[in-house]
Amino acid sequence: MDAAQIHARLVERFAEAVLGFEQELIDPAIAVAAGRIREIAQYLRDDAALQMDFLRCLTGVDRRETLEVVYHLLSTVHLHTIVLKVQVAPDGARVDSVWDLWRTAEWYEREAFDLLGIGFTGHPDLRRIMMPDDWEGHPLRKDYVFSGEYHGITAERSDGLDAFGAPATDKKAAQARGAAAAAAPPSAEEPSATAATVSAEVAETTSPVEPPVAAEKTPRIDEPGESPSTGKASRLSPPTAFQPAMHTAKADPVEGYIQLNMGPHHPASHGVLNFLLFTDGEILSRVIPDVGYLHRGMEKLAESMPYASTMPYTDRIDYLASMFGNWGWALAAEKLLGIEVPPRAEFCRVIAGELNRIASHLIGTGSTSLDLGAFTPFVHWLRERETVNDIMEMICGARLTYNYMRIGGVARDISQQVVDKTRRWLDHFLGIIDEFDRLISFNEIFVKRLANVAVISPQDALSWGLVGPNLRASGVAWDLRRAEPYSVYPELQFDLVLGKGWRGQVGDAYDRFYCRIEEMRQSVGILRQAFDRMPEGEIRAELPRKIKPAANEVYSRVESARGEMGFYVVSDGTDKPYRARYRTGSFTSMSIIEHLSPGLMVADLVALIGSLDVIAPEVDR
Amino acid sequence: MTGPKLEQRIEPEEELALPNVLTTRLDLALNWFRKSSVWYLLFATACCGIELMQTGGPRTDLDRFGAVFRSSPRQSDLLIVAGTITYKMADRVRLIYNQMPQPKYVIAMGSCANCGGLFTPSYSVVNGVDKIIPVDFYLPGCPPRPEALNEALIKVQEKIQGEPWFKKIKVAR
Repeated sequence: MDAAQIHARLVERFAEAVLGFEQELIDPAIAVAAGRIREIAQYLRDDAALQMDFLRCLTGVDRRETLEVVYHLLSTVHLHTIVLKVQVAPDGARVDSVWDLWRTAEWYEREAFDLLGIGFTGHPDLRRIMMPDDWEGHPLRKDYVFSGEYHGITAERSDGLDAFGAPATDKKAAQARGAAAAAAPPSAEEPSATAATVSAEVAETTSPVEPPVAAEKTPRIDEPGESPSTGKASRLSPPTAFQPAMHTAKADPVEGYIQLNMGPHHPASHGVLNFLLFTDGEILSRVIPDVGYLHRGMEKLAESMPYASTMPYTDRIDYLASMFGNWGWALAAEKLLGIEVPPRAEFCRVIAGELNRIASHLIGTGSTSLDLGAFTPFVHWLRERETVNDIMEMICGARLTYNYMRIGGVARDISQQVVDKTRRWLDHFLGIIDEFDRLISFNEIFVKRLANVAVISPQDALSWGLVGPNLRASGVAWDLRRAEPYSVYPELQFDLVLGKGWRGQVGDAYDRFYCRIEEMRQSVGILRQAFDRMPEGEIRAELPRKIKPAANEVYSRVESARGEMGFYVVSDGTDKPYRARYRTGSFTSMSIIEHLSPGLMVADLVALIGSLDVIAPEVDR
Repeated sequence: MTGPKLEQRIEPEEELALPNVLTTRLDLALNWFRKSSVWYLLFATACCGIELMQTGGPRTDLDRFGAVFRSSPRQSDLLIVAGTITYKMADRVRLIYNQMPQPKYVIAMGSCANCGGLFTPSYSVVNGVDKIIPVDFYLPGCPPRPEALNEALIKVQEKIQGEPWFKKIKVAR
């Protein structure tokens, strides 16, 4: 069923509640009345012919005079998608929550509340998710200005330049800076007024920097930074009394349970993730994930720079699988511009992507074993990953943050030398996977730690919006490379790896772990086919130097190592995106932990986090 | 790297020139012990954390220098701040630093920890970890290569080796 038919059905059923139909958009959207959204959403989910069982993404867009809530819906049964839009007034107005229709909406709505200030009626736990509880304002609002100071930490740079490295525009500050400004490296150009929407305002609000001490005898490395809250941060100053703020307003102490704080710095938490545990001895009664410790505001940054400049930032959405961030962003811009990518570039993308998938699963499976106490397999995987890093370096010049893809193609061609080296390594690597299996995957102790732990049913997996290997481990055959094919994947043969209950039930932690091992084997096959079929030719499409897509909206998606990575980009006809929204797999994976945790052992929680392969920057962005 | 420096300072005295006995200054010997067991805290907040892992891995192998990772700040001598620090995380970083026993050293690894890096214009990122805790060494790169981190560790060792322990006692005499 296409978007027009869905629209027709909705008009038939909810006549006046359907306000409009934006058919000209790349992903057509239906505007509905704010008061009826829950009813319409329920109909879309439950109607046999529609069966929108998967909420891909829920977010908001600040349209200045109104706030817009955007729902990206998908039916994994009928393979159709639709976008719903609801307009609300910027202050005070609320929308009905859909958290119990698609459970993943619970966190998405919290995020929309936190970053855009959209209220959701009926939401069980509407509080900030990314920003600290005492943060002021909603950063993704267009009129948001950061005060430049939080808990005594100021945003000003020690060299007195503004955030983009250019001299600050404030003349008084510049005079006070004196010698520091004179000695500053010459900046290429003044930041354009629009480019520095955040930074210029920050620079204005901050106080002038004190002139530096003349003739620094000691090098900078010995100079401790200044922190207004503790005065001069010095090695000799006594530790200040510090009360860590608990960002867990929901968590009231429960009688008879031990409250345990795990993270945000914890060796088994895969980056800066925090969990508040309520335990009865070893048995968990509840686990509350607390995220946002690595929220770097990438979506806001994307609004302040041209399309091509955002590419390096997409590396860092998921630094273990940077290629997919590149890919999704390039795909979004290409769809907006309506350009075709040359065939050779598509193959370069597939090769780089599948290599990156292997590299990511190496860390994913390796760190699972590390978290469960097996250090050796992890070191084996690190050794293999060094070779992948070498190959990546040959392809794009970087080991981790690749910045390889360009809008319309790729940055560099893949040489025959790379192909030969990769082929040799793949032959070797298949043997190493078998060795890894003997070493750890089939190790009885390891299996017992994972089998039958934290079983996710297919219904839950869809409702919580799990994607990628986590979804497939629950037995749902959903892979964007197959279901919504992009690039040259239709030409390539590969199997979907589904959870089979290898050592326990379908959808347990072991299935999620082993799905990743099997996916590496599939990726090896894809790579070999791609090398065989790669045509000669151009690697980049002809593009104007300045990219200005027409006003449109797109939701591009690629199958990342952690599942669907979506880029919802709103273009307003200028060279910068009006709104960029990143939908990532780890965010939804984190949200299901609270649901799965009751009854688990404390040690099982580590197995669960490891098997979900969550990664902090993807959760927080 | 460690050997020659130590040997240069050795001044054998006549009565102590027994077989298998070396004489040296106490602070040199103590510093030599300290620098050969710099245990670093596994504090990976962002992308640099992956390169930190790779540095601990088989190819670069920080273990060669006696540097092994610890998971608890209370057992660590060196804090490698590997990645972006956000305002939400800032208090925790200070807490972790305060939990480490003296003497302690800090490497700010990567552009984000140095100055905010790519995320300097962001509303939620601390522009350099030196706004929160004192930093000994700034390691540039986004992310730095394992070789670079290796070099930074050697710099830390050099700093440790050069530290006077008994300065106060000498002044008192």
